[in-house]
Amino acid sequence: MDNKNNHSQQNGDIGLQGMLTDVMNELIDEVTLGLCFDIHRASKIGTLFLGDTDPKSQREYEIVEKLGVDVFGQVPTKKQFECICPNCQRNLAASRFAPHLEKCMGMGRNSSRIASRRQARIAKETETSSRSTTLGKGESDDHDSPDDDNDVDWSYNVDKKVKKLKKEKLLTHSPRRNKHNKFRNGSQLINDNSSDRSGTPEPTIPSYELMTVEERKRLLLQTCGVISEHTKKMCTRSHRCPQHTDEQRQQVRVFLLGHANVEDDVHIDIDSLDDVDNQSLREALQWEVNSSASSPTDSTSTNNSTSGTKKRPPSKSSSSKNSNSKKKKSSKHVSNSVSNSHGGSSNSLTSSSLYDFE
Amino acid sequence: MMNLFNNILPQDRKIKDAQMRATINQKLVETGERERLKELLRTRLIECGWRDQLKAHCKEVVKEKGLEHITVDDLVQEITPKGRALVPDDVKKELLQRIRTFLADQSNI
Repeated sequence: MDNKNNHSQQNGDIGLQGMLTDVMNELIDEVTLGLCFDIHRASKIGTLFLGDTDPKSQREYEIVEKLGVDVFGQVPTKKQFECICPNCQRNLAASRFAPHLEKCMGMGRNSSRIASRRQARIAKETETSSRSTTLGKGESDDHDSPDDDNDVDWSYNVDKKVKKLKKEKLLTHSPRRNKHNKFRNGSQLINDNSSDRSGTPEPTIPSYELMTVEERKRLLLQTCGVISEHTKKMCTRSHRCPQHTDEQRQQVRVFLLGHANVEDDVHIDIDSLDDVDNQSLREALQWEVNSSASSPTDSTSTNNSTSGTKKRPPSKSSSSKNSNSKKKKSSKHVSNSVSNSHGGSSNSLTSSSLYDFE
Repeated sequence: MMNLFNNILPQDRKIKDAQMRATINQKLVETGERERLKELLRTRLIECGWRDQLKAHCKEVVKEKGLEHITVDDLVQEITPKGRALVPDDVKKELLQRIRTFLADQSNI
């Protein structure tokens, strides 16, 4: 009894399965019928063999379905295409063709930028070289070794040129250059950018010896100047650089210029103008005029800070001088911090200890 | 519905089978499931390349019989058995699964 039941049950299941298969087969047949109608219509209106070519090319261009090869039968390696520049007739790789053409023909943003910068640099070179030669002669008496000064000026100019070239290279905006720059120390990149204006590279400790006091003063006026422990280089950021405190800056100035400039209770008179100051004021203005005659690409900060290198009597005075010259934000800030370090003497624009280079 | 299969005679079985088949078909059509299944089947067959294979075979048949004298019946006769054979197994399984699920839902409701 059970057997029979099971048997009929199984049969039922098989029957059900068969029915399902039949349903499926019906569906397949209907789809096939649809295809047949399609083909028959195509054959009757003449489009069936329209897409076919002659047997020879059909075999030739058949789709390849092998492993490791694309549908054309080619191995998927990158082929380098070479092309000849129509301007200079050089053989170039295809990927480098467009940038080369930009430079070769002198059109496009980058090449005009480079050209204008080159012009500016040359103009400045001639200007500073003429200036520094006169300077070197004038100040040789004041320094210990006149020979060294001449050497310094000469080598300094050469270094400037070399550094400028390097900086131009760094500052080009081509993607290849920037790729290298991206991973460099951020401050270093900023340093390069900022010091481009002043034209001074990051000096190391040995090179301090080579620089005249004049150059050191200039550097320390423009830049933060704090010597980093691990690289032994001066920080070329502005005075406000967040990495270094004013105490550090003061230490560096003491170290480099070799004398302490601590003054207490300096009375700072903002508005008066002494006779003594007129001389130095005039000098400062002259100096300012000279430096402003240099390349216009220099920022005004450079011009302003050079005016600050002139000798001034310690107490007041420079306030009035500075009130006449262009007020630069960094100098104001520095003087503020300086005054703070002196127990908050006042909010004048004097440069008492940091800039008192006597 | 399955209880009907207990203690049944062969000739009755045939009638029952036919009845059941009719019922299944009716249910499929009424609910619209048949159309959905057909669409699914079409998509799957195009994806797996069945259609192109069969089309190539059709072209052979047409070349053989002659473009001018080909009829739909000729094509159907030649193509249908090949078509059934060329359907890949996973497509068949999927379709059967869907039908079975549909029937199971139907008996539950």
